[in-house]
Amino acid sequence: MRHPRIVLSRDEIMTKYLIKRILHGLVSVVIVVGIVMLLIYSALDRQLIFAMDPTYKQLGNNQKEAYMYRKWEEYGYIDYVPYADYVQMLADKGEITEEVRKSVVSFGKKAENDSEEVAKYVAQFTEYYKSQGYEVLRRDAKMQSPKKYVSGGQQQLFAYKDKPLLGRLWNYFTGIISVDNIHYVQEDIENRGLTFTAYDPIYGGEKFSPAIIGNGTRHKYLLYFNDQFPFVHQNLVQINLGKSYSVNLGVDVFDTMSKAQGSYVLSTVTYPTGLVEESADDLHSAVYIAGSREGNLVNADRFTDDYTSVSTVKNAKSKVGFSFVIGILASLMAYTLGVPLGIMMARKKDKLVDKLGTLYIIFIIAVPSLAYIFLFKAIGGAIGLPTTFDIDKSSWLMYVLPIVSLALPSVANLMKWLRRYMIDQMNSDYVKFARSGGLSENEIFTKHILKNAIIPLVHGIPGTILGAITGAIITERVYVVPGAGNLLTKAINMYDNGVIVGVTLFYALLSITSLILGDILMSLVDPRISFTSKAR
Amino acid sequence: MNEKMINLEELNMSDEELFSRVDHNDLESEKITAPRYSYWRSVFRVFFRKRSNIIILSLFALLLLFTYVYPMIVPYDQFANLMDASAKHLTPSMAIEKYGFNIDWIFGAGKSGESTFSAVWNGAKISISMAFICALINMTIGIVLGAVWGFSKKVDIIMTEVYNIIGNVPYILFISVLVLIFSAGFWTMVFALTVTGWLGIAYFIRTQVIIIRDREYNLASRCLGTPILRIAMKNILPFMTSIIVTLAATEIPSYISYEVFLSYIGMGMSEMSLGKLIYEAENAMLTPGWQFEFWTPVAVASIITVVLYVVGQNLGDASDPRTHM
Repeated sequence: MRHPRIVLSRDEIMTKYLIKRILHGLVSVVIVVGIVMLLIYSALDRQLIFAMDPTYKQLGNNQKEAYMYRKWEEYGYIDYVPYADYVQMLADKGEITEEVRKSVVSFGKKAENDSEEVAKYVAQFTEYYKSQGYEVLRRDAKMQSPKKYVSGGQQQLFAYKDKPLLGRLWNYFTGIISVDNIHYVQEDIENRGLTFTAYDPIYGGEKFSPAIIGNGTRHKYLLYFNDQFPFVHQNLVQINLGKSYSVNLGVDVFDTMSKAQGSYVLSTVTYPTGLVEESADDLHSAVYIAGSREGNLVNADRFTDDYTSVSTVKNAKSKVGFSFVIGILASLMAYTLGVPLGIMMARKKDKLVDKLGTLYIIFIIAVPSLAYIFLFKAIGGAIGLPTTFDIDKSSWLMYVLPIVSLALPSVANLMKWLRRYMIDQMNSDYVKFARSGGLSENEIFTKHILKNAIIPLVHGIPGTILGAITGAIITERVYVVPGAGNLLTKAINMYDNGVIVGVTLFYALLSITSLILGDILMSLVDPRISFTSKAR
Repeated sequence: MNEKMINLEELNMSDEELFSRVDHNDLESEKITAPRYSYWRSVFRVFFRKRSNIIILSLFALLLLFTYVYPMIVPYDQFANLMDASAKHLTPSMAIEKYGFNIDWIFGAGKSGESTFSAVWNGAKISISMAFICALINMTIGIVLGAVWGFSKKVDIIMTEVYNIIGNVPYILFISVLVLIFSAGFWTMVFALTVTGWLGIAYFIRTQVIIIRDREYNLASRCLGTPILRIAMKNILPFMTSIIVTLAATEIPSYISYEVFLSYIGMGMSEMSLGKLIYEAENAMLTPGWQFEFWTPVAVASIITVVLYVVGQNLGDASDPRTHM
């Protein structure tokens, strides 16, 4: 008896394979982030972040210790709760009244000095956090004389806990994508909800420009149109790769990489109150900040609600933008130069062209990249090209040297591999057959050999394009390009753990995507390649 | 045979005296006699057949002489002339004028009044030593593990995963975290460059082993019952020699380049290696009259890496038995 067999089409097999690959890739991304977290949060000495901290040096005694724990919390190492915050939390929940809070918030210089009421809450605090796995630290006051503290000798009471790796990973990955919703604002506000308008009030309310405006959401504008590419923008879904601490205070890595740089672009802005000013504010980026309108006269003049925090319009590209422009042009240059040169070297094997090409390849492989980039910089400077990047100038000449410096090494790499692959193909049977069939050498090379030899190179194209986003560390540093390449090194030097994790995740995602895209592209170019397990 | 023929009759000996019977031996009959062939002798014969190799090899010897012997003969103290304001940032001509002609001053003096020439060779000593040690460790671990990785299908599954994951952790991050955990010294650097550095080599070797492993002659050998270790040592290793030498030729210069790169982004070691020299002299590149401080270490680093690379590549070519005709 024959069993009915499910026959999968090539496309179905391919889709199945791709889904498997993507899942596999995502798992390894999680592991990579886990390794990086383990490295920076557990293996690294935590004292290092204070090496260049002037505040740390000035503080003494108990204050210094409390400051250390507070900073560690900011850098994401630990959870830290001072006693005062705990009492405040109780008051916020309504468990105690404001009067009680005031009377118990200050605790004694020593545990024996606590009043009965304070002692009760201190005990409650200790018990609560101990049960949660925290360590509770109480430092008695250090006195110079009965009335006078030693510098920084005030009493301290706080609880702290190391964040566990798995919890940290979980929180990180669940927080990457956040969707704005109308329950974001915790304060009591009227008219929570989304409104759709066909006439965006920012353009005076007359021009046709649809927008979705939220109230109670984090962003005021959830969807809007403007004259910037790609014309329709959204604030509904946010990507959070990790908050920066020391590189770009409080700003997410994703924003650090993707926000425009340079100087302000002023335009005539009509604020919601009707005030018209020359300003660089981008009203579409308005974010809710509780109580920000009442406390601030400028805001009160401009805004009618608490959506007052706006970003500014700047004239230059973002970090990723600069890196991408340079990287993509360099890759284009590399392919347009490298492929013909590689073919030429293979065709004129052992002739002068081949020997010169080999010399160049050896130069690029063997000489440290730093050395030849400096060499290109010196030569470029001698011809009169700008050797440093100036964000305020829009001259295209300053792009030339970074692009050339990036492209020339890739040219060598392409030449090397294309020559190798072509020469390997030159003795194969199908070439001999084509030759005996009377095809011209030209036809053999371009139509037969190149088609086969280029397949392994095709695999690298998505990687080259996506790699352009991450930037090039040395090139950008040598030419002072404000790109994304230096973000990781900068973050490492400044111990900005949030940025390190964020950038790593970004790199890992890009590299996995480019591998998968490379495989797809390769199977498109060469139908013989299939991803079924049987064919392998 | 140009010896004179001997007539047996003239010896006046009986057949018993002249001949002895050799028993039939199964083991001996399996042996094939062939002309004496020494692999390494052929390698060097082929290597020295090219005139350019002799030149490049003597250049290599000269470099080693300067890196390892010169600092022993001429003592070097970076801060010996620190207090002498007129000794700092000298061009070669100024230095020679000041100290008289001496090979030590042909590249001028640096920012502490030290001889650039000496500084460069002392730096080269650190960089080259580091590169050789790293290469030795990484190649040994990489080849041994790569061979196991290629042979065992179980190991292959696990190691490929490990490779894919580790490959995604930014290399700079590994190194900088290690440099920060330990101090930024020579051995930390070696450790940082070797802790994951062997993975790439192992992967490369694994691929080569897989290619050769299933060739017909190995299949036949396995059918005849040759133990795996013997297949690895006798059937596959000889095939790999030229690949390994070529690999070493790219690895060793790459460690020097990597060290230069890391020093330049401020994550190098504390010793005054070539990379550190370049990093510290970066500002001198554009200052008129100071350029020698910057370009000398850059040039020496480049020459060292190119020479190492070319020697290695040519040795790799020569160690391919197919060129031994």
